[in-house]
Amino acid sequence: MAGSTIDHLVSVTAFLAAILIFISLFNQILQTAAMYQRHRSLAMKCSDLLDNMLLSPGIPSDWGQTNVTPTGFGLQDPEFTQYRLSAFSLMRLLSSVGAPVYYPKTNQWYSNVTVGFGNFLLTSFSEAINYSTASRLLGINGTYGFQLTITPIVTLSISEIQSKEPLRIAVNVTGRGFPLANAAVSYCFLTVDLKGAYPAYKTTYGTVYTDEKGSTLLEFSEITKEDTSYALIAYAQLSGLIGVGYHQRVSSTGQYVMPFVDNIAEGRVIIAHSWDVHGGDNPAEIAYNATFVLLAEDFTLREVPLGADKVDKVNYGEGQPYKNVTIPTHNPGILVITYKKSAVEGGVIMMPWGISAMAFPVVFGEDPSGKEWVATDIRQVIVNDIAYQATLALWSLEGYQVIR
Amino acid sequence: MPHITIEYAILVPVLILQIFLFPLTTGWLMNTWVDSRRSLALQEAASHLGSIMQQMYFSLSHDTILAGSVTQKPDVPLYIENNPYTGNATLRTVVDEAQNSSKILDITFRLENTGITTTTRVILGQNALWKNSTFVSNSANTCIVAEKFENGTILLSFGG
Repeated sequence: MAGSTIDHLVSVTAFLAAILIFISLFNQILQTAAMYQRHRSLAMKCSDLLDNMLLSPGIPSDWGQTNVTPTGFGLQDPEFTQYRLSAFSLMRLLSSVGAPVYYPKTNQWYSNVTVGFGNFLLTSFSEAINYSTASRLLGINGTYGFQLTITPIVTLSISEIQSKEPLRIAVNVTGRGFPLANAAVSYCFLTVDLKGAYPAYKTTYGTVYTDEKGSTLLEFSEITKEDTSYALIAYAQLSGLIGVGYHQRVSSTGQYVMPFVDNIAEGRVIIAHSWDVHGGDNPAEIAYNATFVLLAEDFTLREVPLGADKVDKVNYGEGQPYKNVTIPTHNPGILVITYKKSAVEGGVIMMPWGISAMAFPVVFGEDPSGKEWVATDIRQVIVNDIAYQATLALWSLEGYQVIR
Repeated sequence: MPHITIEYAILVPVLILQIFLFPLTTGWLMNTWVDSRRSLALQEAASHLGSIMQQMYFSLSHDTILAGSVTQKPDVPLYIENNPYTGNATLRTVVDEAQNSSKILDITFRLENTGITTTTRVILGQNALWKNSTFVSNSANTCIVAEKFENGTILLSFGG
């Protein structure tokens, strides 16, 4: 009798265990299937969303060149079709990588896309489009998170090989993992002269070609001193693929001028004393001389005249106002500002007017690291003739459970 | 003998219960999965159709595009698990002060025979118009029609 009871107890327990295991396994299989479908759906949404961003100029279509907040989000260049993006719409996106910069004299924060010393892009928060606005305009607020990354395809690595007599600069042009042989490299070489009350500059333009390794060497015999400040801007072009590179040498990094984009519609750029932004030792008045260069249709660099405000002095501390320079065009180019602190201390800083002019990257949105599952999609795009790759990372904010 | 009777008295109902419990559990799990799958498939189709309509609108809205009509056959499934789906849309002007110059097209899709619905939202410009029409997924000529007029307005509708 006892044996029969034990048999029954064991069999019932085994039966119940089998039922539970079946339910849990079955549920797990369904969860996996549901997750797969959600991931597939997310991938499709990512592709659609990226196309919506890149194939529409937004509303109004010229919002990138104005101060208005768009009512429809899109990055396409309104003058073109297909995957051609507006350099100015991209410039208005609030960068999610650089630490924002506060400038007390305007009492404003600035979005920071600075790439190393002397290569600034600081756009006023009042002009910039933030992530939550873009998310709302795309209709994904609260349902999806995203990060849009725009990175240049062609890279120009510029390095100084010999500092004087002659100055030798190596330029290496590479695509995505391969060198660009026989690429035409148009360059603008700008040297700073600190002799006068204001810094003067001299520009040299030229075109050379890369060898089979994608390299070329530039020589400038006029550079006879190691402390001569200069800037080199180079554009490489091969079969419609265009990239930008830049390099500068300065004799003073302690005190310099900083450009802040104040008003994109009017082209107004604030010239600030660096001491007012992040302090420093032995501040002094700084004289500057601004110039604006842009890439012409024949891939040569041209200088565009600026107004009378291009040459001035800026001082530090309270009661000393910042200065302005006005860029007269909405064609992308580079604002080059030579500065002078003393007869031997000076340099040159650059700021792209339109993100593509110096092939600055753009990172916009939230950080996808640590998210549960992230779909990505890429497109090859053109930003004012410069080749870029646009990558969208998208993730769901609603979770992945089967029962919603 | 009495022990065996008690054991049977307990086990037989348990076993009978299992007969019902087992398929009910399976059915509940399957229904949950099927509903989730259908909802997702409908959302995916809706989102894709919305994206196509927005891209058609912006393509036609470009200054270089003259007056004319464009028809696009969307690459969405005809059926979702043997059920056709339908879509209706309404166009509204945004009253939000910050968005005072755009229109929003709310498209509601319904999966027939299931009661599953989903809504997608498309942001369009001030020159957008909507012609009342219904999207029927299994219609032979299902398409999206966008017509640009001389005055720059763009009329969107479902065709087929």
